[in-house]
Amino acid sequence: MTKNEFLSKLADELRKNNVSDADEIISEYEQHFAFKMADGFSEEEIAAKLGDPAAVAAQFESDADSRKSGGGGRKAITVIGLCFIDIFAGAFFALLFAWELVMIAFSVCSAVVSVCLFVNISPWAIIPPMPPLPGVVFGVSMASLSVLSVTGSIYFAALIRQLMRSYGRFHQNSIAIASGKAVLPSLSVYPRLPAKANRRIRNVAVFALVLFTAFIVLGAIISIISSGALEFWHAWGWFGYAG
Amino acid sequence: MNIQYKKGVLELCVLSLLKKHDCYGYEISEYLSTHIDIADGTVYPILRKLKSEGILTTYMQEESGGPPRKYYSLTKLGREVYEKERAEYLDFAKKVEALLEDDSDD
Repeated sequence: MTKNEFLSKLADELRKNNVSDADEIISEYEQHFAFKMADGFSEEEIAAKLGDPAAVAAQFESDADSRKSGGGGRKAITVIGLCFIDIFAGAFFALLFAWELVMIAFSVCSAVVSVCLFVNISPWAIIPPMPPLPGVVFGVSMASLSVLSVTGSIYFAALIRQLMRSYGRFHQNSIAIASGKAVLPSLSVYPRLPAKANRRIRNVAVFALVLFTAFIVLGAIISIISSGALEFWHAWGWFGYAG
Repeated sequence: MNIQYKKGVLELCVLSLLKKHDCYGYEISEYLSTHIDIADGTVYPILRKLKSEGILTTYMQEESGGPPRKYYSLTKLGREVYEKERAEYLDFAKKVEALLEDDSDD
């Protein structure tokens, strides 16, 4: 069989099997012939090695094959189902975003309180009165708390992002299944931060937690000593108690 | 060797080659037939299937002294699919190997 015989037979078979873009497939085999002939093979040898054109054509999926699982009705039902799931998932994501906002607000508040304690000011009397030394010690602990909260918000933001991606993939796959297209691998819901970033965030979080705990205890001890009372908050007249 | 074994892993081999660099169809065909004993032209149906699944994409590139060639390249999705299937295959192969070697020791 010559090159032209092979190709025209292949084209016929592809058309018979209802395979789309047969021209593209033919041009691929044309190139195959061209490369092999450049290597010194004869047209007959190449065609014989490729095998029977009918058998070759049978290996290509027909359009009907790749769409057999589909159908407009099934897709419509899937889309409606997804809309309902979206309503629940949407509420869930709104909750997650709200919590992220709370964490960010907490970080900012801790940072502001820490600065107030350092410079010993109390705007609108939000900071209870205390001598400068315990103020600075408590300031350090509040700064650590702020850093801890920032690492928490970063990790939580990564979690939300990954959850959204994972949910998006689920969405995409559900529609792909209903319309008979290839299904993509599902995504893990856990954020996979780069190993280096992950380690760094963890180290910062542990360091901040230790610093926070140590300085809050130290602050209490210094306060007890400097006020001369175990319940130093009474001695300094916090919460409306005049000591 | 059983043709059914090969068919299943051929896709994985194609993806592994394309992960290294983009190739034209004949290049893939020749590369695979030097490593695995497969019939000529077996890869073309696989390439088309992978393309229709969105795992591969194609582009034409001019070559000096010849018609433009159709190059295949992995999509982002293709990379993801490859990594997942590769891990699954290696795990599977390891288990099968352990099973078969255990058998010969008896």
